[in-house]
Amino acid sequence: MLELSNVEVLYSDVILAVKGITLAVPKGSCITLLGGNGAGKSTTLKSISNVLMTEDGKVTSGTISFEGARIDGGDPAKIVRNGIVHVMEGRRVLSHLTVEQNLIAGGHMEPSTQSMRRRLDGVYDRIKRLASLKSRTTGYLSGGEQQMVVIGRALMANPKLIMIDEPSLGLAPMMVDEVFGVLRSLKDDGLTLLIVEQNTRVALDLADFGYVMEDGRIVLEGNAADLRANEDIREFYLGLNLEGERKSYRSIKHYRRRKRWLG
Amino acid sequence: MFDPIDFLNYLINGALVGLLYALIAMGFIVIYRASKVFNFAQGELVVFGGFVVWWMVIQTGLPLVVALPLAMVMSALFGLAIERIFFSRLVGESGFAMVMVTIGLLILIRGLILVLFGPQVRPFPIIFPLKPVIIGDILIPRSLLIGAMITVVVGLGLSWFFNNTRAGLKMTAVAEDHQVALSMGISVKRSIAFAWALGAVLSTLGAIIYLSGKSLNFLASDIGLSALPVALLAGFESIAGVLLAGLIVGAVQGLVTAYVDPVIGGAVGSVFPFVIMLVILFIRPTGMFGWRTIERV
Ligand SMILES: Nc1ncnc2c1ncn2[C@@H]1O[C@H](COP(=O)(O)OP(=O)(O)OP(=O)(O)O)[C@@H](O)[C@H]1O
Ligand SMILES: [Mg+2]
Repeated sequence: MLELSNVEVLYSDVILAVKGITLAVPKGSCITLLGGNGAGKSTTLKSISNVLMTEDGKVTSGTISFEGARIDGGDPAKIVRNGIVHVMEGRRVLSHLTVEQNLIAGGHMEPSTQSMRRRLDGVYDRIKRLASLKSRTTGYLSGGEQQMVVIGRALMANPKLIMIDEPSLGLAPMMVDEVFGVLRSLKDDGLTLLIVEQNTRVALDLADFGYVMEDGRIVLEGNAADLRANEDIREFYLGLNLEGERKSYRSIKHYRRRKRWLG
Repeated sequence: MFDPIDFLNYLINGALVGLLYALIAMGFIVIYRASKVFNFAQGELVVFGGFVVWWMVIQTGLPLVVALPLAMVMSALFGLAIERIFFSRLVGESGFAMVMVTIGLLILIRGLILVLFGPQVRPFPIIFPLKPVIIGDILIPRSLLIGAMITVVVGLGLSWFFNNTRAGLKMTAVAEDHQVALSMGISVKRSIAFAWALGAVLSTLGAIIYLSGKSLNFLASDIGLSALPVALLAGFESIAGVLLAGLIVGAVQGLVTAYVDPVIGGAVGSVFPFVIMLVILFIRPTGMFGWRTIERV
């Protein structure tokens, strides 16, 4: 369904963040992309949705294709219309709007108000928590609730493939389970998923197949079961999961890196 | 001696003028929300719109029912052209660069008006009957009263549009965060272009209410400056809030002009909105209804 072949991504014409990666996301599968800080996971997703263009980045070589057609360097709006939605890292809710307004905005491509309402009901049905939060301002919700909002908002676009960047980031273990519960329900309904995670254990529990990135390259790939059993993964990712330390660093990182675009 | 009827007169007329400021401020806010461009040339858009209306009605002699909608269409195209020529190239530039461009735009529009319409002071057509509305002892200019009603309807309508409809929420998503909007499949460029068109149309509507039956020249652009404190008091994101802010600024200005100016012998009234503006900037830079950065800990 989605294929990346030898993709290289360059920021600001100088920073090579992704150095030729090849990966495939077959229809109906759940693929996870793992790796440490700065490995290039988010950049990979941005190159697919091409929100990369807002950060002065571009795919300088290789190809990205979706359902047989090239999409690299394409118009992000068109890519969403084709069926790929990118849920960006850091729970990017439209913070001054209510939950329902976020969801309606997400359903902006629906042809009619009725069909949008139907989608909305579908989302409330799947993520029960959102129904009770409808009229709350999303900026004041808890991290887990915000993560549900952005997932719900992505669903409103009626995607075939959802790419989600570190959904577990900074969430308490119970909330992580709830978020991954929603992702599992999507997988069970046949939606294709590409999940970027640092929380290797939860990701490999859900995924069918995984890739591990390091320094812009894919260094390891395999069936989720094999990766779970892999010694390196156990040592470097499952063992080295220092929640507290990572969390504090990560919350700073997100704001530092947000770039100005269009003013 | 204090006369309550006079007081009411000043208050009501001030408030109506304030609503006119609010209409101009609305155009400013619509553009700011989508593009984050602080448009210093908003007053020039008003003057340009005024000249287009003048040209259509007085020069070509079209009836109002044809001329006014046509003027709106032309302003929309003008707004689109400005966005396309100046701002779509400035993707990723700093806010400072954008402001400099709007100042350049201000000078350019003045030049354009000079070339297209000449330097003379022109009589603006009488759109609303000149006879004032008289309620008891209170005298209200008809154009301001009708204008105020139009402003309230447009303001509430736009506010509803931006907060409830799919198309409007799309624009609001762009106002919140360009990158997120893009990731949702919203065409940010198209939203910004639409905002400029809408901002220009609102300016022309403002020109019609402001100038009806008056004379038209460059000085009319000062109203853009008067609208600035209203936009600031409301906060740059709130369309409905700007109505209330307009009422407050206008009423206060009306009263100060009536009661303080004669005592001091100076034009305190015309400076007062800017005093309000500075005070707001100090105590609450996001205005009464603007978006404050939500910080969760
Ligand atoms: N907008 C940008 N401009 C320049 N360099 C960038 C930009 N975004 C990311 N980078 C660089 O590209 C590299 C990969 O970053 P990326 O965000 O893709 O990593 P990641 O795997 O998502 O890491 P994390 O787990 O911390 O989110 C890093 O070295 C980073 O500094
Ligand atoms: Mg990342």
